[in-house]
Amino acid sequence: MYRTVVNRILLSGGGRRLLRQPDLRTVISSSRFSTTTETQTIPNRPLNPPDSSSLSSSSTSFQTPPAAGDVPRHERKNPRAEYEGEQARVLQASLRHVLRLGWSEKAMIAGAKEVGISPSIVGSFPRKEAALVEFFMDDCLQRLIDRIDSGEELQNSTPSQCIYKLVRIRLEMQAPYISKWPQALSIQAHPLNVSTSFKQRAMLVDEIWHAAGDETSDLDWYVKRTVLGGIYSTTEIYMLTDSSPEFRDTWLFWIIGERCF
Amino acid sequence: MAFRLVTRNLRNRISFKLRSASLLHSHATSFGFKEVREEDKSQMVGKVFSNVASNYDLMNDFMSAGLHRLWKDRLVSKLSPFPGMKHLDVAGGTGDVAFRILESINSIRHRALQDTINDDLREETRIYVCDINQNMLNVGKNRALERGLGEDKSLVWVQGDAETLSFEDNSMDGYSIAFGIRNVTHIEKALTEAYRVLKRGGRFLCLELSHVEIPVFKELYDLYSFSVIPRLGEAVAGDRESYQYLVESIRRFPPQERFASMIVDAGFHKVEYENLVGGVVAIHSGLKI
Repeated sequence: MYRTVVNRILLSGGGRRLLRQPDLRTVISSSRFSTTTETQTIPNRPLNPPDSSSLSSSSTSFQTPPAAGDVPRHERKNPRAEYEGEQARVLQASLRHVLRLGWSEKAMIAGAKEVGISPSIVGSFPRKEAALVEFFMDDCLQRLIDRIDSGEELQNSTPSQCIYKLVRIRLEMQAPYISKWPQALSIQAHPLNVSTSFKQRAMLVDEIWHAAGDETSDLDWYVKRTVLGGIYSTTEIYMLTDSSPEFRDTWLFWIIGERCF
Repeated sequence: MAFRLVTRNLRNRISFKLRSASLLHSHATSFGFKEVREEDKSQMVGKVFSNVASNYDLMNDFMSAGLHRLWKDRLVSKLSPFPGMKHLDVAGGTGDVAFRILESINSIRHRALQDTINDDLREETRIYVCDINQNMLNVGKNRALERGLGEDKSLVWVQGDAETLSFEDNSMDGYSIAFGIRNVTHIEKALTEAYRVLKRGGRFLCLELSHVEIPVFKELYDLYSFSVIPRLGEAVAGDRESYQYLVESIRRFPPQERFASMIVDAGFHKVEYENLVGGVVAIHSGLKI
């Protein structure tokens, strides 16, 4: 339960993207005498300190509230929040082009043009197409959490029914993009992106179990999530080839899969 | 022979300046390890590059053992060029970076998928190559002709100063400066100008020789810089002084962190740098929001 509370705080507002990004000051390991690289980021100093108040309210950060000596660090968050806000806007607009252009740089360039920002910004996204896919996954998770929180439909359901409903809601979010979803899966499976996509799926599965009322705290906790993760992924893959109306076969597949376990 | 005469004159002029340098403390800047008047620096740099222009690319290959090609490839891949882009390459006289960008945009990968809209966009691409030195630009134009890009209207060659660009505000998607910012008298001005001409979302990229901190490698690199390079300059280009200036100006340039904070001061966001070959070269990048 504490885990989900922490997750909720982490996912709120602009803070959610901070979870996904690696600590920007860390050096990516590289062998010293080869031509490989280290990347380091410099924190921004604020340009317009008086304007920072409006920005700071929208970008909630999960650190402890700024103490007196922390003011520079708190203000420093704002240029980063500004960048992340712009990034989120561009990615949100790009989603509308995915069906036509795939999960690709082209979709992001089209999205940037739509929002009125130079498409050069796409060059600054880490692992470009993966940024778009991960944004989508985060967005879906957030919408799922909102549905859970507003949760009338989940009352009076057994845990098993609850899980079924949540998985169905979540997979239906992917339905509009189903024609391009294989590309998204292959992007997520790429070695550079695997760790992030694994984390996102782990959070999804954890959220679903928590909403179903799971209170275990021993080894079962891991077993349940692993099993759910496995069934979820196979159902997702089944959905790719399902052409039945409203994916009826996929939901049937899910129920059978669940019975087996 | 003529080069030796010119460089001897240069040396004489520099020593004269040094004697009167004590009167000029507040307006002096660095020309390698020498202190010179600010007004004179750009002229002296101009002379250096007029001297080296014809052998510039050859010397680059010798000094970096061909690695400079990889570094420029890395710069362009970080930029992620797209069709229809307006890009400004400053101090890019001989056109290395500009050609790479153009080739990246015209590559099969981009052409494979499309549709007439993209073709129209590719027509709108403009790469402006700006350099303070006309000789370098001429070498670049000749190279463009050799590559068959002479008629390509995407390439525009402009003579200009990095500190006072003749381009409009918010007109460029990208700004790059490869191995050029070291030679600018007022780096902050160049950075401010870069910020001015970039559009919202535009990226600033700077490829520059930088500081090595790794213990043993640093000594080897210093040895190579001060012993091998000027001699190589003398042997290949007949111009030891210019290459002595080169290695000295690298040492005088601010280290990576300090330069990055200068970029932040100019107003850029998401300022990062990437060290290549342990710090011999660094690519700094920033974004205008």
